[in-house]
Amino acid sequence: MTRALSFLRGLVHLWPVVLVFVAWDAWVVLNGYTSTVAPRPFPVVTDVVIGFGEYLPYISYTLGVALVGLLGGTLVGFAAAVVVWSSAALAGVVTPAALIIRSVPITALIPIIARIVGYGDPAVLTSTVLICFFPAFVFTLSGLAAIPASGHDLFRVLGGNKLQVLARLGVLYAVPNLMVSVRITAPTAVLAAMLAEFLMGAHGLGALFSESRSYMDMERAWGVALVATTVSVFVFLGARALENRVVARVT
Amino acid sequence: MSTSTIRTAQAEVDRPAARPGAAVTIRGAEKVFSLGRGRTLQALAEVDLEIAEGEFVAIIGPSGCGKSTVLRLAAGLDTPTNGAIEVFGDDPHRLAKQHRLGVAFQEHALLPWASVRANIALPFQVAGRRVDKARVDELIQLVGLVGFEDARPKQLSGGMRQRASIARALALSPDLLLLDEPFGALDAVTRRRMNAELARIWGEEKITTILVTHDVDEALILADRVVVMTGRPGRIRKIAKVDFPRPRGFETTRSPEFHDLVDELTALLDQVEGVDD
Amino acid sequence: MTAAARPGTAALFGIGGALLVVVAAQLVGQFQLAGRAWPPLTDVLAYVTTPAGSGLLLRNGLVTLTAAAQGLLLGVVVAVFGAALALVVPMLRPGFERFAAILNAFPTIALAPLLITTAGREDTPMVIAALSVGFVMFVTMTSGFANVPAAHSDVLTVLGSSRVQRLVRLELPRAVPSFFDGLTLSAPAAILGATIGEWFGAPKGLGLLLVSAMQNYQMPLLWSAALVATALSLAAYIVFVQFQRIAVRRFG
Ligand SMILES: Nc1ncnc2c1ncn2[C@@H]1O[C@H](COP(=O)(O)OP(=O)(O)OP(=O)(O)O)[C@@H](O)[C@H]1O
Ligand SMILES: [Mg+2]
Repeated sequence: MTRALSFLRGLVHLWPVVLVFVAWDAWVVLNGYTSTVAPRPFPVVTDVVIGFGEYLPYISYTLGVALVGLLGGTLVGFAAAVVVWSSAALAGVVTPAALIIRSVPITALIPIIARIVGYGDPAVLTSTVLICFFPAFVFTLSGLAAIPASGHDLFRVLGGNKLQVLARLGVLYAVPNLMVSVRITAPTAVLAAMLAEFLMGAHGLGALFSESRSYMDMERAWGVALVATTVSVFVFLGARALENRVVARVT
Repeated sequence: MSTSTIRTAQAEVDRPAARPGAAVTIRGAEKVFSLGRGRTLQALAEVDLEIAEGEFVAIIGPSGCGKSTVLRLAAGLDTPTNGAIEVFGDDPHRLAKQHRLGVAFQEHALLPWASVRANIALPFQVAGRRVDKARVDELIQLVGLVGFEDARPKQLSGGMRQRASIARALALSPDLLLLDEPFGALDAVTRRRMNAELARIWGEEKITTILVTHDVDEALILADRVVVMTGRPGRIRKIAKVDFPRPRGFETTRSPEFHDLVDELTALLDQVEGVDD
Repeated sequence: MTAAARPGTAALFGIGGALLVVVAAQLVGQFQLAGRAWPPLTDVLAYVTTPAGSGLLLRNGLVTLTAAAQGLLLGVVVAVFGAALALVVPMLRPGFERFAAILNAFPTIALAPLLITTAGREDTPMVIAALSVGFVMFVTMTSGFANVPAAHSDVLTVLGSSRVQRLVRLELPRAVPSFFDGLTLSAPAAILGATIGEWFGAPKGLGLLLVSAMQNYQMPLLWSAALVATALSLAAYIVFVQFQRIAVRRFG
C-alpha cells in the first residue's frame, strides 16, 4: 500500500515529461504543421504501441550492441588498466595517451572505424566497444592509483606480491571506480550504437531512424526517438542499480 | 504536538511569568535529536533560564552537555522538542529577521572566499544597509587584525579566525550577542586581552550576552551570572551570581573571593564530569 | 606509480607516451597494417599544410567551434538558472532532478527530427550542443548548491537573510568550483553535440566534413578533420581545467 503510494508520488514528479508532451502537441498544432513535417504525440505513441512488433528487432539489436559494447569495453578496459598498473613506467606512458584518445569525439571516431573495420555490423560493435573502453581504462587506473602507500607497505611487510595487493586492495579501490565508469558510459553506449547504425548499419534503431526519415515516415522517425530515449533511460537506470549493488557489496 | 502545548501551558503555571525586562526566557526547554533509524539522543532536559536585558551570562559545563544547543535555541536555529523560548517577548527567529542578533559560532564559519573585511561587512549587506566602513575598520582594530584586512580565512590562524568571527558578530551592535567558546583557540595572553576588550564593549553598549566557555576564570571575569550545566541530558546544575565590581582587573582576579568562587565552580564541574562518566 | 608521481618524471612519461602514439600511428599507416583507411600521419600532415586543406579545415572548424561555444553558453545559462530555480523553489526540485536524469540518458541523436523542423539545419548543432551541456551543468550545479556547509547556512540565518540573499551571498559563490567542474565536462560535450548536429545535414562544419570524407574515401581529410575535432575538444578541456584550478584556489 505504502509502496504503491510512494510509486504514485514518484510518478507525480515526472511532470516535466508530461509538460514536454503537452508543449510538443501545442507546438505542432499552433504552427499548423502537417504530419509529414512534425507529427502530434498521439499518433506517434499509437505507432509505437501498435507497431511495437516492428520496432522489436531493431530495439533488441541496438540494446544488444550497447550491452555487448558496454560489457566488452569495460572488461577489456579493466584488464588493460591492470596490466598497465603493474608497471610504473608503462602506466606513466600510457595514461596521458589514453586521456588524449578519450577526447576524440565519437562523431570523429565512428567514421574512421567504419573505414578501417569495414562498413556494417562489425564497425558498429567495434565503435561501441572502443567508446566504452577508454572510460573503463581511465577510471580503473585512477582507482588503482588511489591505493594508499600504507596498503602497499602492509602487503610488503606481510611478504605479499603485487597480485595479492590487486586481489585484496585493488578490488576495493578499482571496482567502485569501474562501476562509476559503467554508469557514465551506459547512455553513451546506446548513443554510440545508434550513431554508428545511423551512419552505416542495416539494423538497429539508428538504421530504422535513418530509413524512416528518408521515406518521410515522420511518425516512425519520432517513434524511434521516443523508443530510443526509453531504452537509453532503462540502460542508465540498470547501470545505476548495478553500481549501487556492486559498490554496497565491495565496500 | 499536544504534549508540547500541555507542557508549555504547565510551565506557564508552575514557573514565574517572564518579567518585562527579560531578554531571553527559556522555560522547560527539552531537546531530543533524532539519530535516524528510530534512535534518539536527549541533549537537553528541562532547562529553565531567564536572562535580563543588558545582562551577561556565561554557561560552563562538560563537553557535549548541550551548551551549544542552548545557544542554537536562543538563536532560533533549532526549536525545542518541548518547552518554550522567547527572545524579547517574541519568537527567537524574529530577532534574526530584524538583524538584531549577533552570533560567533564555535567553528568560526567565516565565508572562505571572502576577505576578513568582507566577512565583517557581511551583516551590513544582508541587512540591506550601507557598509559602515569606519565601523568595520574599528572592529578590525578592536580584534587586533590590522594588516590582515584583505587576508582570506585560510590564511589566518585559528585564533585570528575566531577574532574575525567575533568582529562579525559585533558588526551591527546587536541587541543579543551569543558567543560559543569564542576564545577557545587563543593563547592565554591574547585571551585575557580579548576578555578585557569584550568587557569594555559590554560595559559601553550593555548588549545582552550569552557566552559559552570552558574557562572558569573567563566566565567570572565577564559574567553577571554563571550557569553550570551537567552532562547528558543537559540540565542546569547551578546558577552562581558574580558580583565583583567592574572593571574586573588584577585586583579582582587576585582576590581570595575570586579564587574561592573559581574553586567552587571548578569542583562542581569535576563532580559533574564524574557523574557523566 | 611512485616514479610517475614526481611531476618532472610524469611529464617526461607523458611526452614519451604521446610520442609513442604518434610513432605507432605513423608506422601502422606506413606499413598499411590497418589497410588503406589508416594513412601514415605524414600524409595527414601533408594534407593539413596544403592551402586547400588548411582552408577547408579552418572554415569548418570555426563553424563547429562557434556552434559549440554558442551551445555551451546557452546550455550553461539555462542549466544554472534551472538549478538555482530548483534551489529557491524546493517544490520543483524532484521533478527537475528526474527530468535531468532522463535528459542525461537521452540519446541526442533522437532529437534530430524535432530540431531539423524547429531549429533548422543551421541551428541544430548549436541546440544539440546546448542540450548536452545543459544536463551536465544542471547536475554539477545542483550538487554544488546542495553541499553548502551547515555552519555557513546558520550564519546567514542568524543574520536574518532573505532567500535571494542566501543565494547570492552563500550558495552561488559556494557553487563556483562546481560550476567550473561542470565546464570541464561540458566543453567536450559541446564539441560532440555540435558535430552530432552537423551529421544531420548541416551545410558546414567538422561533422559534415567527417561524414562526407568517409563516404568519399578521402582518408587524409577524414583523419585531419578528426584531428581538428579532437584538438578542439582537448584544448577546450585544458582551458577549462585551468579556470577550474583558479576557481578552487579562490573559492575552495
Ligand atoms: N544536530 C544534532 N544531531 C544529533 N545530535 C546532536 C546534534 N547537535 C548536538 N547533538 C548532540 O547533543 C549533545 C549536546 O551537543 P552540544 O553541541 O550542545 O554540546 P556542547 O555542550 O556545546 O559541547 P562542546 O563543549 O564540546 O562544544 C551532544 O551529545 C551532541 O552529540
Ligand atoms: Mg559546543
